[in-house]
Amino acid sequence: MHRHVAAPARLRRRIAVSFILVAGISAAALAVGSFLLVRQSRLSESVERSLNQARLNLAFARQNLAGRPTPKALRPLFDFYAEGGFDTVVISGSRVLGARKPSFSSATIPEDLRRLVLSGQLAYERADVDGIPELVVGGQVPDRSTELYFFFSEQSLQRDLRQLGFVLGIGWAAAVVLAALAGLVLARRTLGPVARASEAARSLAEGLLDTRLPVETRDEFGTWAASFNEMAQALEDKIAALSEARERERRFTSDVAHELRTPLAALVSEASMVREHLEQMPEGARRPAELLVADVGRLRKLVDDLIEVSRLDAGTEAVRVEPLDLRSLTDACIRSRGWADRVELTGPGDDPVVVESDRPRLERVVANLVGNAVEHGRRGVTVRVGREATAALVEVTDVGPGIPPEHLPHLFERFYKADPSRSGPGSGLGLAIALENARLLGGDIEVWSEPGRGSRFTLRLPVSEPLPGGHGGVAPSEQAEVRQPEKEVGT
Amino acid sequence: MMDERILLVEDDPSIREITALGLGRAGFRVTTTADGRDGLSRARRDPFDLLLIDVMLPTLDGFEICREIRKDSRIPVIMLTAKTDTTDIIVGLELGADDYITKPFELPELVARVRAVLRRSRADREEPTIQVGDLEIDPAGFSARKGGSDLSLTATEFRLLLELARRPGQVMTREILLQRVWNYDYLGDSRLVDVAVQRLRAKVEDDPAEPRLIKTVRGVGYRLERT
Repeated sequence: MHRHVAAPARLRRRIAVSFILVAGISAAALAVGSFLLVRQSRLSESVERSLNQARLNLAFARQNLAGRPTPKALRPLFDFYAEGGFDTVVISGSRVLGARKPSFSSATIPEDLRRLVLSGQLAYERADVDGIPELVVGGQVPDRSTELYFFFSEQSLQRDLRQLGFVLGIGWAAAVVLAALAGLVLARRTLGPVARASEAARSLAEGLLDTRLPVETRDEFGTWAASFNEMAQALEDKIAALSEARERERRFTSDVAHELRTPLAALVSEASMVREHLEQMPEGARRPAELLVADVGRLRKLVDDLIEVSRLDAGTEAVRVEPLDLRSLTDACIRSRGWADRVELTGPGDDPVVVESDRPRLERVVANLVGNAVEHGRRGVTVRVGREATAALVEVTDVGPGIPPEHLPHLFERFYKADPSRSGPGSGLGLAIALENARLLGGDIEVWSEPGRGSRFTLRLPVSEPLPGGHGGVAPSEQAEVRQPEKEVGT
Repeated sequence: MMDERILLVEDDPSIREITALGLGRAGFRVTTTADGRDGLSRARRDPFDLLLIDVMLPTLDGFEICREIRKDSRIPVIMLTAKTDTTDIIVGLELGADDYITKPFELPELVARVRAVLRRSRADREEPTIQVGDLEIDPAGFSARKGGSDLSLTATEFRLLLELARRPGQVMTREILLQRVWNYDYLGDSRLVDVAVQRLRAKVEDDPAEPRLIKTVRGVGYRLERT
């Protein structure tokens, strides 16, 4: 049950995670790719621009630097350069002839760059100078053995790139969150109907046959809900028809039983009078009259059983529970019916076997089981009252002909007779009634049988603790409990 | 002793005829009718010794007849009821029926019940008034007084009080009370006794919550104090 509830949530999580993964990876690829492209183009653009500026600067220097450059000769050069927004270092030999910033020395220039510049090339390198990212471009004034280095700051370029990266990162995160939300919403919208349907199926299974699903959309779910509803409707109709048929059958049984009651009452009275006058009857009428009297008895038993069946069916039977000693009840039941000489009763010694039960009902069940055994068992019938861990039991064993195995599963069905050719004195309802009564009392009846060896019927009832004082069978009525109240009695 | 007159009110012709026949052979003079109203007017007009009334009747049911008769007569009444309707039995007794017999019945059983009721009714008529404390119970008049004023008990309450008062100071078990007051042998619903005792206390005791007359003997039954 728990597993069924957990599944949709797990599936929902899985869908959301898939969305996040797909969205996260593709957004990341897009962001990184565009960042790299922009960075590449911005950096090479910066190099291009700086190289052009450096070429121009070198050309200007070539025209203005005559002979060995002196600080004085450098001044117009620096003045000119100052306009360009870059720093300049001029080195001649190993001497720094001039620098816009006093902190600049020959050490500031990366060595690789100097080597390239000294070999006569126009070269550049990126370097970090006093914490500022610079693009350093160097070149020689030909034949003058003077090197010029220009520092183009890339601080704003780097800042732009950082900003771009930051924006792209934010965008990526937003995409992931959006994807997660979309995933969850979609999962809920997809799986919501699934969860509702499983809820509906469960309540159908629990017997709420009027459960239906709302048909809200025109998509697959809508179609599905519609067919689910059709199924539920068909089920409801079918079950309604079945229970109506069953109800009709029950009413019929009850009506028949009650209608039979009046003529039967007359028959019983009449038969009782016929029986008293059997002796005076002419020879030819006596035997039929005897049979008639006996058959009225059978009919009476059948109608009594039918009435009891219809009452059990109505489900309004009251069970009055009181503590009873199963052994003394069984003993009394056997004695009062005159079976004492044919039945051997064994028990668990002196200890009472106390059950919480309804006396008349329990007596009927025991009488039915013992009566059947007495009727079918040709030889001895043994009744054993005993106790198990959770149950008290009455075990009725006979060494009669036994019951063929194919009949055993149907033994407790109404009107089932193991041997249809031989109609016994029973109504065919006895065992069915016994079982229903046993179940009303919280118990059950089990049967074992082997043809040729005999049968054993075991009635099991829930046990209670022995009464304080140990005298079973005394039923203090103040402790008696009524499970289902009787109809209110008018005054 | 013989030639006692019985009025049988029963609508089913077969049951009516065979019952009348059986009672006639047993020595009773039986008058029959199928109709409730007719039964009531005959019972009022003619001097019968016992009424045998079916519960389900056309025009006026057995309970109504019993209720009407009890307004001014102590004539013995036996109700004919269906075995399954235990409430019918209890209601009938509450309304003042003396006994009931469940259908289907065999004639010897009916005759025995009729004789027992007649015998008891005669005995009641001859039984002197019982005095217990300030309670005064008159079996012949089917009435009980306390300190001179009438208690207006129902038939069941009266019979219960009478049973207790016949043996003051002695415990009566629920089973015995069920048997004597309700003629219950098979139902064994001792709760019926408890409910009736509650109602009786409400009429008899000064303070029903603190009963001084009718005491509960836990786990056994009830006792009327001798005072």
